[in-house]
Amino acid sequence: MAAAGDLMVHRFPQGKAVDAVRWLPPVSAFDRFVVAAAHDADAGVSAVEILSVALFQENEEPNKPSLLPRASWPSTSRISSLTSAKALTKPLPIALSTFAGSLHYLFVDPLEGSVESELSVAADARSFHRGPISALDLQVDGRACVSVGEDGRVNLVSLGETGLENRRVHDSRGLVSYTAVRWGSPAEFATGGLGFGIQWWDQRKPGGFVSQFKGNWTQGSTSGIVHSIDIHPSRKHICIAGGSSGTVFAWDLRWQKQPIILSGIGFKEQAQTSSEKDGMLTVLEQGYSLLFGVGDDSHAYATERFLDNILRIRP
Amino acid sequence: MKGVSPFQRRIPLASLAAASPGRVGEPWGRFGEMEKAVATLGEGAACCDWNYCGQRIAVGYADGGISVHDSPEPGSSSSFTRSSKWRAHESGIKNVIWVPPEYGDAIACVCVDGKMSLWEEVAEDSQTPTWKLCKTFESNAQVLDLQFGVSLTSLKLKSSSNIPIIPKANTTFASKVAAYSDGSVKVHELLDPLALNKWQLQAEFQNVTDSVSRFGRPSCISASIAWSPRTSESQLLRFVLGFNTDLPQFNSSKIWEFDEVHQRWLPVAELALPGDKGDRVHAVAWAPNIGRPYELIAVATCKGIAIWHLGLTPDFDGRLSTEKVALLSGHDHEVWQLEWDMSGMTLASTGADGMVRIWQSNLNGVWHEQAILDCNATQRNSKQT
Amino acid sequence: MPGRPSDPGDSLVPFSAEVHDPVVHPVRHGLRPPLFRVFVSWSRGNLLHVACLCQRAPAGTGVGEDGDDAARGGVGGKVVEVKLGGGGDGGISEAERRRIAYGSVPAFAMLQSRRNSLMAASRMQFSSLRAEWWQHILEYSNHIGDLLGTQKPPPKPVIGDPKMVVEPLEEPTELKAAWHLMQIFYADNESRAWLPESLVDWLEDYDGLLSMTESTIHSKLVALQKKLVDLQVIEDDPDYWQGLASALAVGWLDIVVKLLRLHGSYQPDQLDDREIENGLVEAVAVLVSTMPRLRPNLPTGKLGQCYKTKPDFVKAREKWQSHISKLDCSAFWIQCGHQQTCEGLRNLLRIMLGQFDSLHASSCHWMELYVSHFLYVQPFTAGLEGMHTLAQKCMQQKPAGSYTALTRILVGILGENTEARECDGLWVPFLLSLMVVHSIELLTADSKQADALLHEERYNLGGISIEELHRLVYAQVLSSHPLTWQIAPTYLASCQRQGLGLLEILLYKQPIRHYTMLLKDLEICRLYELENISLNVMKIAGVYHWKHGRKGFGVYWLQQAHDEVRLSRIAQQLFEHIGKSISDDSFKQWEGLIELLGSEVGSAGGLEFLHKYRDFKRSLQKVQEGRSIDAARKSTETLVQLMKSPSTPQRFWLPLLYDSVKLLNWRDRPLLTVSETNLLLNKLQELSMARLRPDFADTDLLPEALSSVRLALATNLGRAILEEC
Repeated sequence: MAAAGDLMVHRFPQGKAVDAVRWLPPVSAFDRFVVAAAHDADAGVSAVEILSVALFQENEEPNKPSLLPRASWPSTSRISSLTSAKALTKPLPIALSTFAGSLHYLFVDPLEGSVESELSVAADARSFHRGPISALDLQVDGRACVSVGEDGRVNLVSLGETGLENRRVHDSRGLVSYTAVRWGSPAEFATGGLGFGIQWWDQRKPGGFVSQFKGNWTQGSTSGIVHSIDIHPSRKHICIAGGSSGTVFAWDLRWQKQPIILSGIGFKEQAQTSSEKDGMLTVLEQGYSLLFGVGDDSHAYATERFLDNILRIRP
Repeated sequence: MKGVSPFQRRIPLASLAAASPGRVGEPWGRFGEMEKAVATLGEGAACCDWNYCGQRIAVGYADGGISVHDSPEPGSSSSFTRSSKWRAHESGIKNVIWVPPEYGDAIACVCVDGKMSLWEEVAEDSQTPTWKLCKTFESNAQVLDLQFGVSLTSLKLKSSSNIPIIPKANTTFASKVAAYSDGSVKVHELLDPLALNKWQLQAEFQNVTDSVSRFGRPSCISASIAWSPRTSESQLLRFVLGFNTDLPQFNSSKIWEFDEVHQRWLPVAELALPGDKGDRVHAVAWAPNIGRPYELIAVATCKGIAIWHLGLTPDFDGRLSTEKVALLSGHDHEVWQLEWDMSGMTLASTGADGMVRIWQSNLNGVWHEQAILDCNATQRNSKQT
Repeated sequence: MPGRPSDPGDSLVPFSAEVHDPVVHPVRHGLRPPLFRVFVSWSRGNLLHVACLCQRAPAGTGVGEDGDDAARGGVGGKVVEVKLGGGGDGGISEAERRRIAYGSVPAFAMLQSRRNSLMAASRMQFSSLRAEWWQHILEYSNHIGDLLGTQKPPPKPVIGDPKMVVEPLEEPTELKAAWHLMQIFYADNESRAWLPESLVDWLEDYDGLLSMTESTIHSKLVALQKKLVDLQVIEDDPDYWQGLASALAVGWLDIVVKLLRLHGSYQPDQLDDREIENGLVEAVAVLVSTMPRLRPNLPTGKLGQCYKTKPDFVKAREKWQSHISKLDCSAFWIQCGHQQTCEGLRNLLRIMLGQFDSLHASSCHWMELYVSHFLYVQPFTAGLEGMHTLAQKCMQQKPAGSYTALTRILVGILGENTEARECDGLWVPFLLSLMVVHSIELLTADSKQADALLHEERYNLGGISIEELHRLVYAQVLSSHPLTWQIAPTYLASCQRQGLGLLEILLYKQPIRHYTMLLKDLEICRLYELENISLNVMKIAGVYHWKHGRKGFGVYWLQQAHDEVRLSRIAQQLFEHIGKSISDDSFKQWEGLIELLGSEVGSAGGLEFLHKYRDFKRSLQKVQEGRSIDAARKSTETLVQLMKSPSTPQRFWLPLLYDSVKLLNWRDRPLLTVSETNLLLNKLQELSMARLRPDFADTDLLPEALSSVRLALATNLGRAILEEC
């Protein structure tokens, strides 16, 4: 890699497919937890695993971090998406969706890394999603979760007095399929889908999305699906989307017609995301200092990288 | 550089031979936990077929029902669960066949009374997918076997509308070949790739090389058809067909090829030695060709399973050279099914002896039986207490 | 000629006349025989699905004789997945195998690309590149070797327990041992000069693996160590001397010296009366630790004196041997009071002098005997033939009771023994396949003959070489598992003849119901430029989603696949809505689909018309909602445009007009001018003429549609004439 000097890659072979990996908000500086969606293809069993990451260990050579299992929660179906609340609360909500179309809330003790309780929305083709849920995202405080699917539905699940409350935000009835979603503010979120399309939604304005970007600029050569979206923490009008074949582009709500392609096929600079891994998911952590990537080669690896320069393109 | 090292002359041939494909099965001395049950079928199951990627199984029942079993999770070898079951016919179902995936999730089913129907899984808008009847094929004679082929040919699609939308040439194109109890073969073409109810009879002929003489009506017990598996290069429509009848001329397996110029089907090779032409054919299978200089076809007759090499280039009168490279005996009784693996290096056969036999060729090109899966074994972990 | 076809003349591997009987494996399906039918289908790679269907209870008999139906519980059959060539994992878990498989990919790919670049450069200066190539091969070999087993930890500080003579083995694996041995023989060009010493080192690392059931020197020493803790007078125990002799026989000099120093004569309180004895022990210890060795260097903690060149070594060895002989003949032995010590020490001397009986008695396994030969009898290799004969001899001397997989590989490398080929087999197929694929690089590194043998294209194999065959087989093994199939392409891409063919089939057969799987598949297609396959795969995905209610996904993939035939069929389906009154919901759906199809499908005007028609329909809806005259005017304009446009198919003229009857009958004032009305009337006339032609495609409008349109047009004409007057 280009910047080998400031890049340390630690491999932690897991022996099973890791479908998603997220950091939990840190309690202490040295001991942190990650939550992973694991799938054991041999046994056909899926689970959410909470692992503790120790980047620095006493009595060991300096660069030998460890990843040790703490708790595991079995899932009846393979996990399609996983996310955790970003603000540290006790208990800490984690949300996950499955290929069967159900959504689960897990409440985790952020100190112990154990699962305390759970709530779920069962798979229901009529009232929830039909088929797999492709992505979900939690609000910063974890009280509301937006989920999207290939069926073209956008649902909002929130923590109510009695349990989870589920509300349909939109149903495109299969005309659009969504593959990524991210909250921008307590009322706004962005969804991504085919042809590198991004939609911006505002709950205060019902009746569909408020703006849309149709980016079919790479028709043909790549599959053009948005895998993940992130929104700048302070400049809410900037979305960064990552998609097939290592494509990364920034979309600014103020210049909706002019996305900035940061990397990708057909773009001169080499893609940062190794195209071999087709960036199944690339997820950014707060502060953009640690990037946890997941390939489907049953390895999880952590790399440190600064993305600030990307975000400084349009001040 | 120093002189010739003494090691140059030797390589551990033994350790290499240990892993030759002919040896893939060798380690079976220790089977261990190499098998697991993945699906349970309902009572009266009479036939089944797997779709192109092996993730769906369609099962036909003796009472005319059909069920479909799915392995829904991606990338998992988890078990199959029944996703639907319905009554398709009055009489029992004798054969189910998946339609090529380019045409959707659809199956053809053949009944014991000889009727044939086509079913498709569709979902309207946001409804749950259901299986719907697309078409029923009626015929005086019973359908014995049916196979779908996909080829890259220029499509002669007659658009029924006057809207000037011109289909691009060189698109994939489905054909269906069916063999009937009166010894006839019918080839149908699909007219509309998105509507499985629009078929057109393209050709009808008999499985004989001599097209002049007239033959009586044979009484056929079964027929076996195998399309030549698709390759990116070959544009030819070809299949092999053998019968199990009382009329010897019909029996031997023949390779039929579509002659684009004259728009007709021609026999280009016969897979039987002169003395064996009347042998009743029980099963045929055409191996995928990943780059061999010859095609590989297995034909099961009462004498055993013959492995044939078929030349790729036709001679001056358009015929393909054939060579019988092995005759494998093992199933003492009738062979039910022949199935090549993805590379065409291993052949699996099933037969009335209740065995699944695995055949491979070794480094010298000698075919031999590699392993046997015995399905008759009385069960240790039987459900009965 | 039923049965086996004859052996072709150009046998590659001598074909033994006697034929193995195939292994019979019972399929445990849990059903009661007899079976009605058995169906098979190949699933991923080497997985075979076997469907066993039960014989149906005869109709009319009701419940079977012994409650058959109840026992069966309505089960009519089972599908069993059988993993061919799988099974016995040799103690290595699936996950571990996958780790090794994944880890070896980069090394393999790297070596392939280096080979290619060297091949490109080789025409000019082959010899200078050889050294570089050897370097690459060694790197590659080390990488794979490391993967196969955990690396030995750095030596621990030597303080510890003085009685700790044997260090516990760090989970060495048979695989690693075998790989290491192959490396010594084929990959490490440097170490060839020191081959016997390499074997000594190898044995030191892996001796414990030679046999699981019979004792080895390693197992003997481990047993001895346990005993040492409780032993008071160590030199009285025959096991002590036996252990010493064994360790010396295979050249574990540090252990020998360590053990010697445990001798009772070293104890301070006894020094006085056991001086001679102690002197003899120490003399032997010195001789052991100064043994000349033909090798470049020794790892720290190991004993002996290194000589890099043969003449130096020979000289030193002669000198050393003369010392031994001298000591052997010395008079001190008579003065030594301890019988066992005398005998034990003299046995050690005999070993060092290379006396066969002592060597034979001290070693357990033939490999140990073999190595001791190199140390004490014949320190130079007499070519491989010589090594070979020697190996045979040792095997005869120490016949093994049972074969482990490792010994089989040993036999394969050291003794070209056809029997070895016959009794191979218990090896884990996955790893075996992996080993073979990766070791071919080593085998061909410096052998023209091997190179030719492995690379020659053979008709029997379908026109491919043995090397390619092994890669294909390995790729198929990899593709048997959903977590490893995606590394198979790396190996297939290195196959010249049939790799891409198999890769195409592999990619085509991947399940693509979930878009993540589809993306992976397409990405691999893109990497290997298999556009045909990716178009096909997208087409399958498109049809699947289209038929399953996800129209957007469906159209998207069909567009990506450039499947104009299907897209135009979809457009045609949209035409069917024309002229029909449709609900708001389905109008939205219909509108959305037109939007999805975009304007690119079909260069001809079909879609252009659809877009215009959509606009018309939309404004018509507005008219229906309110009564705005502007909306009505706009609709009329669009109608006239549509009717004028040559891209509007004739069969839609009537539906269009019928849709707009309300416009034609607009209450307040006529919306069409005289000329416009005439245009429409002419079209209607044309249509009536066309109906007489046989190829006319009629719309399924009500018969009164035509008359109501005609009436409306006539009325409009009348009103327009009045207005324009």
